[in-house]
Amino acid sequence: MAEVFARLSSRAIALGLGTLLLVGACGGGGGGGGGGGASTTDVTVWTAWGGAELKAFKDVLAPFQSKTGIKVHITTNRDSTNQIANGIAAGTDLPDIAPGPTDPVQVKDWVTKGALKPIETALGSGFSDYVSNTYSALITPPGGATDDPYIGVIGGKHYELMVKTQVKGLIWYNKKVFTGQAPKSFDDLLAINPSQYGAQKLFCAGFESGAASGWPASDQIDNIIMRQSGDQVYTSWIQGKTKFTDPAIKLGYQTFLKEVSDQAVYGGRNTALSTNFGKAGDPMFKTPAGCLFLEQATFITSFFQQDFASLNLKAGTDFDFFAHPSVNSQYDGNVNGFYDNFSMYNDTPAARQLMQYMATKDAQQIWANDGGTLGAIKSLTYNDPVFKRAADVASGAKNLLVTAGDFMPSDMQKAFWQSLLNVTRNPGSLDSELRHLDQVQAAAYTSS
Amino acid sequence: MDQIITAVVAVIGVPLVLLGYIIGGEKVIERLPGRLQDWARPYFWALPAVGFATIFMVYPMARTVVISLRNQADSDWASGAWGVFANYHYFFTFPDTLTALRNSVAWLIFYTFFAVFLGLVIAILVDRVRYESLAKIAIFLPVPISAVAASIIWKFMFDYQTPGTPQTGTLNALLGIFHRDPTPWLIDEPVVNNAALIFVGIWTAVGFCMVIISASLKAISSEVLEAARIDGANEFQIVRLVVTPLLWPTITVVGTTMLINALKTFDIVYVMTNGAYDTDVIATRMFSQMQSAHYGRAAAVGVVLFVAIVPLLIVNIRRFQQQEEQR
Repeated sequence: MAEVFARLSSRAIALGLGTLLLVGACGGGGGGGGGGGASTTDVTVWTAWGGAELKAFKDVLAPFQSKTGIKVHITTNRDSTNQIANGIAAGTDLPDIAPGPTDPVQVKDWVTKGALKPIETALGSGFSDYVSNTYSALITPPGGATDDPYIGVIGGKHYELMVKTQVKGLIWYNKKVFTGQAPKSFDDLLAINPSQYGAQKLFCAGFESGAASGWPASDQIDNIIMRQSGDQVYTSWIQGKTKFTDPAIKLGYQTFLKEVSDQAVYGGRNTALSTNFGKAGDPMFKTPAGCLFLEQATFITSFFQQDFASLNLKAGTDFDFFAHPSVNSQYDGNVNGFYDNFSMYNDTPAARQLMQYMATKDAQQIWANDGGTLGAIKSLTYNDPVFKRAADVASGAKNLLVTAGDFMPSDMQKAFWQSLLNVTRNPGSLDSELRHLDQVQAAAYTSS
Repeated sequence: MDQIITAVVAVIGVPLVLLGYIIGGEKVIERLPGRLQDWARPYFWALPAVGFATIFMVYPMARTVVISLRNQADSDWASGAWGVFANYHYFFTFPDTLTALRNSVAWLIFYTFFAVFLGLVIAILVDRVRYESLAKIAIFLPVPISAVAASIIWKFMFDYQTPGTPQTGTLNALLGIFHRDPTPWLIDEPVVNNAALIFVGIWTAVGFCMVIISASLKAISSEVLEAARIDGANEFQIVRLVVTPLLWPTITVVGTTMLINALKTFDIVYVMTNGAYDTDVIATRMFSQMQSAHYGRAAAVGVVLFVAIVPLLIVNIRRFQQQEEQR
């Protein structure tokens, strides 16, 4: 009897356990999946965009989907580079189209492994049009080089399709307050007396940005270094070949500190450190004005309009910008910008068609119409006067140089951003900060 | 497609195999002679659990130790200062990790002490009032809040605005009432900002300590306390000489749990400062090394953290065992 019972109960337990596991597993196992095969009807796209940017992207895709009947499956994925890296390593499915990697080593590696498909292949006969239409700085490696991983060019082939771009280092001002002429040089800018225009301080600044605090400061110093010591120093510094204690980089830090001294910056250094970048420009629109200028990229206009909704601020009439003034006239062609790109990871007919579509003027014009960005194509029309002029800055650029921190190893980036916060807080610590950054650089770029 | 197949195999195949293992295995064991059956059955039933624990816990642990001795590309053993222990050399000599170590020690001492001490004091105090449950709820409220949400709440509390303008941060608004200049709480290094972060940690932990200690306080029989009172002890003496010694096993368990929490601290620091102005702790260092693909260094941090936590775990488990025996 006991034996029968034991047998029964063990079976019952086994059955129960198995069923439980099954039920639990099935409950959690739904979803997943994805494309696969050389689809002519479906294409999967990963993007980091959300909110207004995602809406604009959907607007861009709408005519494509209705015209071709191809279904575009968008996934907002802010960790796409890591996931694609894992996918490549594991040999699992990749999205058909997703942004290319930013790490130059990764770009080369993925090209070698065949994960990235050339834009030449994707666009076919349309490639020459793409080259002639797009801002040259986005597709042409400087000095006739065959490699520039920062714009996705390896061995003379392109692996990143440029679709949008933004210009950084613009000096924004309230048109009702600053009525003077745009200064010619950086020294002229620093020499402007804010009280002449009834403003308290020359600059506003806001370096707080959660876990990424410090990046707005890094944009400022990037613009200084690339336009003060040139693109070669700038690029070799990003690559970890120029030390932070190098005189050129130190000079950059010293010049940056002039913008954030207690005399120059609204509210003093602690205010600059505690203020979120999105709110940094607010004092420009107060009466009396807290400051004359805010240095920031094109995207900042939406923050002005949001924060002062009641003033109904209009670009071009209420606020405007001038381009970063000359630091060293030899390097005036260096402009700091960033871009959005798509790479093709699966060469399917549908993916090719979508890539071809996104390279067209019609597609990019929709992005331009939705506002908040420049397209990658030179000849788009912009309703917004600010972007009309930003497009001039982009087309005048000899080199559109990427933002340094974004292309450094991430512990270098973190230390670089935080060093700018530290020297802003305590300018006397500059030398020890730079020595420390050299140590981080030596450790971050080596692979012991 | 591959992913679907993998998923199907994982969710249906694995349980089926387990089921087959159990049914088939039992059939085999049943045929064995009686004594052998009794000997084999427990091992047979324990094997899947031990197997899973090995695959999902022991193996990753061993692998972490191995990775900590490998170079960045995982192509060869690490080399450099300290030879194969190069990643540990980095951990114990690099200025950033030393700062992180210093901060983690501060967390260990202050977070643990104040969380347990305040938990104990509050548990004893609320035990003596009529609105006990109300007071306990108030103190316990921060516990279920996730650390990320708590950090965001306290970021607002610590907010700093230009002196002379309205202060939106509660603490600086309070300072303003006393005509004091606002303090940039999260920026003033190294004492103010680290203290501010540790304070947030304590705020989220006191309720937990209080509840556990309070429960154990209720278990002290009133006869013991009465006896002490009859013997002429005053309330302070009772707390110091009777209650606290009786609570000591609980305090040790709560204390070691808090020590482990302090060592693991990550979210509060990551959300509020991400290590800016010298506030990094070892877990945030581990994360930033992982992010920059220095897996060897990250693993070395993990191993050091693990080695630091093991003695605490042993103390904790011993205490639990003692308590079990006393019952």
